[in-house]
Amino acid sequence: MPHTRDVPDDAPPFLGTWRRVYTATLIYLVFIIFVCYLFTRVYR
Amino acid sequence: MSSLDWVVLVTTLVSIVTYGLYRSRGSNTVDRYLLAGKSMPWYAMALSIMATQASAITFISTTGQSYVDGMRFVQFYFGLPLAMVIICATVVPVFHHARVYTAYEYLEKRFDAKTRALASIIFLCQRGLSAGLTIYAPALVLSVILGWPEYMTTIIMGVTVVTYTVLGGVKAVTWSDVQQMVIIFAGLVISLVTVILLLPSTVSFGDALFLAGAAGRLNAVTTNFDWNDRYNLWSGLIGGTFLFLSYFGCDQSQVQRYLTGKSIAQSRLSLLFNAVAKIPMQFFILFIGAMVFVFYLFVQPPVLFQQVELKRIGKLAEYEPLSREYQRAFEQRKQAALALVQAHNAGNTPGEDRERAEYRAAQKELDRVRSGAAKLVESTGGEKGFNDTNYIFLSFVTKYLPSGIVGLVIAVIFAATMSASSGEINSLATVTVIDIYQRHFKRNASDRHYLWASRWFTLFWGVYAVVLAGWAKRLGSLIVAVNKVGSLFYGSLLGCFVLAFLFPRVRGTAVFCGMLAGEAAILGTAFFTDVSWLWYNVIGCVVVIAVALGITHGSMEFGDAGD
Repeated sequence: MPHTRDVPDDAPPFLGTWRRVYTATLIYLVFIIFVCYLFTRVYR
Repeated sequence: MSSLDWVVLVTTLVSIVTYGLYRSRGSNTVDRYLLAGKSMPWYAMALSIMATQASAITFISTTGQSYVDGMRFVQFYFGLPLAMVIICATVVPVFHHARVYTAYEYLEKRFDAKTRALASIIFLCQRGLSAGLTIYAPALVLSVILGWPEYMTTIIMGVTVVTYTVLGGVKAVTWSDVQQMVIIFAGLVISLVTVILLLPSTVSFGDALFLAGAAGRLNAVTTNFDWNDRYNLWSGLIGGTFLFLSYFGCDQSQVQRYLTGKSIAQSRLSLLFNAVAKIPMQFFILFIGAMVFVFYLFVQPPVLFQQVELKRIGKLAEYEPLSREYQRAFEQRKQAALALVQAHNAGNTPGEDRERAEYRAAQKELDRVRSGAAKLVESTGGEKGFNDTNYIFLSFVTKYLPSGIVGLVIAVIFAATMSASSGEINSLATVTVIDIYQRHFKRNASDRHYLWASRWFTLFWGVYAVVLAGWAKRLGSLIVAVNKVGSLFYGSLLGCFVLAFLFPRVRGTAVFCGMLAGEAAILGTAFFTDVSWLWYNVIGCVVVIAVALGITHGSMEFGDAGD
């Protein structure tokens, strides 16, 4: 059976490099945990 | 269900199948049938990944869970963005460049045939069991709520899924998932809006939030660390990361979704979309459950949401006093809730504290009576460990939502079941053909031969899933236990892939022994300790790596590097 074809490894469509995209994702995670924490505190 | 509900349900199901098949035209080679010819855009993969992960029971159970326990389940997903970043940076490019059909195919390239075979078998066992349950669990709930026979829901869902999965392959699965997710999102938004509109006119949205919070239903984050507590910030961040690394990095039902990408960037974007969207989505689902809780502060809920058991214990002499006690407890809680809102809106702090204490005490009393009813079910021949959490949301939907919306929500449950099930069946067939049939039984046949083998194995796993769903009830607690701890198998798979990616000196035999030791460690932890299942993946992964590194180190001293 033939192998599947290889695919290109492009740059991300925003923020320039994948490293920056990953950093933005992790900052988002910290932000969303903080928002959930605040939500819990406000309505405790 | 009204005629309008039936029209909505049938139209939705037919359109899912038709659209999936229409988009899958031309799946006439193995590459196109199993990997969509590597042509999928990121948004289709993203929604397919989300749809495959979210089974019907996720929606039914999650809303029920926040009704009884609050929103802390959302913390389970805190590890997801971390896992997605790690997978995008490491796993995605490696799998694409290795030009593989399955994750386990890569293990032979990196280690040896026996490691690949062991990983494939672990996957087939774990996914094979859950394939039946994915269909059975919602079928059971729907049968109780709607009064349909179990086999009817099982067959409707099973036949629909098998039809488009066999005929259209992964392309049909992915495009159907897209449509299913759209239906699911629409259904959830409409449900939340309707719940809020159904609240009494004297209770504002702000009051509803206040009451849910005062009863501990908006507890999204708990920072206390406890090994035995399933959902807190730490188990979510650490245990959740390992679980999602295993699921998205080593489970073919997910790996196959992003292997269909037209570029590595598209595959990465699909995973990162999930990293960003999943937590808000789960928060939203849990929030619906919290609002259903507020709705039932003012409208008396049944003592038990599982109607079949409620009817059965309703005939017993012990039920009558329990029912009266429940009614009294409900009235007490309703008055306490109204008094609390009044004190809060008047800015009367000492009065608010007093009313809050009353409200919480009334909630405890109501919980106590409900738990008494559950015990009555158990003590009179009902299911051991009876729990009606999964029936709360659908019971509310069928009783209080308007005609047409009921059909849409039932369609959401069907759509979620089919999306999760089609992904499972498709990946089971792929592993069977690529890692077992082609590798061990028929090595050099034509592409057409493997295409037909893929179709037949898809049909086989589809029929198997439906038959297993039919038998699931008879397997009883065993099958429930297996469903609960899908992570019984993930830790050792994750350890194997971590060794493959990060430890170039480790060889096949060391990994093989490590996986066996890891599996033994997970089973030991599961059966002999109270450690929460979220930690099994961490334990299994660490043991696999430690044993494999130990063997490698020991072997290198004897000069054979673990092989």
